[in-house]
Amino acid sequence: MAEPLLRVSAVTKHFQGVEALGEVDLDVAEGTVHGVVGPNGAGKTTLLNVVSGYVPPDAGRVELAGRDVTRLTPQRRVPLGIVRTFQNIRLFGGLTVLENVLLGQHGRASTGTRSLWPLRSGADRRLRAEAEQALDVFELAPYRGRRAAELPYGLQKQLEMARALAARPKVLLLDEPAAGMTAEGRRALVPRIRELRDEGLTVVVVEHDMDVISNICDHVTVLNFGRRLTGGPPGPVLASNEVRTAYLGT
Amino acid sequence: MSSFTEAVVLQVGISVLLALGYWIAVSTGKYSFGHTAFMAIGAYTASILTLNFSWPLPLAMLASGAAAAVAGALIGWMALRLSMLYLAIITFIFSQLVNLLISQWEYVGGASGMIGMTGTTVPLVLGCVLIVVAYLVLLSRSRLGLAYKAIREDERAATASGLRITRIAVGAFATSAAVTGVAGALSAHQLMVINPELFGPRQALLIILYCVLGGVEYFWGAALGAVALSLLPIYFDWLNEWYEIVYGLLFVALMIVRPQGLIGRRGGGRIRLPRIPAGRERESVG
Repeated sequence: MAEPLLRVSAVTKHFQGVEALGEVDLDVAEGTVHGVVGPNGAGKTTLLNVVSGYVPPDAGRVELAGRDVTRLTPQRRVPLGIVRTFQNIRLFGGLTVLENVLLGQHGRASTGTRSLWPLRSGADRRLRAEAEQALDVFELAPYRGRRAAELPYGLQKQLEMARALAARPKVLLLDEPAAGMTAEGRRALVPRIRELRDEGLTVVVVEHDMDVISNICDHVTVLNFGRRLTGGPPGPVLASNEVRTAYLGT
Repeated sequence: MSSFTEAVVLQVGISVLLALGYWIAVSTGKYSFGHTAFMAIGAYTASILTLNFSWPLPLAMLASGAAAAVAGALIGWMALRLSMLYLAIITFIFSQLVNLLISQWEYVGGASGMIGMTGTTVPLVLGCVLIVVAYLVLLSRSRLGLAYKAIREDERAATASGLRITRIAVGAFATSAAVTGVAGALSAHQLMVINPELFGPRQALLIILYCVLGGVEYFWGAALGAVALSLLPIYFDWLNEWYEIVYGLLFVALMIVRPQGLIGRRGGGRIRLPRIPAGRERESVG
């Protein structure tokens, strides 16, 4: 079997003595969508925080394409290809929709004194055109000049994803992308994530909506009380008694 | 130009430089309460060089900007990772420390200060203002300027976009200190006399007020605040001892009616106090 693009090995994390993650392993193959599910408090978001660098693990290792990234800060992981969205949307609310996407490209843009060049010049013209295109894809073009904070919730979620994709990630971490979205928004999310996978992107998604999970994931890992309960293709895993019991708590 | 008009133009020009310099730090959401330290470093560096080593003022100004930038980078590196409150405390203590050091340093005249600096002219001051404005126009249209705004808006989101916050904020703080240092040099060579008292908390507060009054969202807001606060005491001196009371009341009224300052959109570029994460966000493991 080919080496996974993202490998999490025996990651452990405690918060004030409480085990949030206990020796969790996760192998994510390139070009797949990997779901992380489990009841509230199972450690799903902590796992994303560890992978993205926001929470340092007490023990264990995170590797991207064989490179150990465990001790790297989140901003150093972004140029390497680990990019995330948040459970509670984090946008630059006072900046325009277009500026939000342009900021997603930060790691790919000119640095040093060239970062002082006008946004419409040179290589930045290409990046700007790309950002405009991303707005079209995410149906945000009509709002390009609006402040991000003024958008309705569903569009803010879209914008956060557009900004994350602007960084050209290798692994996209989505934390509850369907939460708070309308039924229509959820329906639109499924083909969009599939499309990203078909383009070769690797996606790790934490989600409570099992319809979304079973429709987009190639593989699912179930966490319970910070431990890996089981894993495999979504159909059999989600139907298993073990998982049902964990969710129902009986 | 009459000598009165010249004095007014010089004072306003230097105040605008101070405001623009401070705005550069504020544009990343970092509020310093000790920018007078950089002003003092600039003023004393330039005065030593022109008086004791006969350097021409423009060259001494460059050196003073560089000295202030180094100090700004050092203090920024130590303090900019901290929250707004700690940054305020550390920068204030730093300014007091610089003040204490120069008041104890005999070489620069101790508490009596230095005397006899000249050479600040209207073209020199306006030239500096033009250079800084040109830089800020460039900055506001660039990716670096966008990164500054992003850090001011939401540091966590900025981190998620790969922005190296500390490095960018330290760069901004050093640039801000450099401009403030140059303004200090010009001020010293306009006043002809400097002493530690000129760089106390009152002056520090005045620099902050330039930005708060004008608005922190756009640099011209800060410049406008500086023009207003420099001209008011000159043209309203007939208020005598009532001046500061009227001044304070006007300020309070403005902050209620336009909290974003004279220039700026409602809700845009307002001073944001440190955000305490909600319980779910802080402790979420799910």
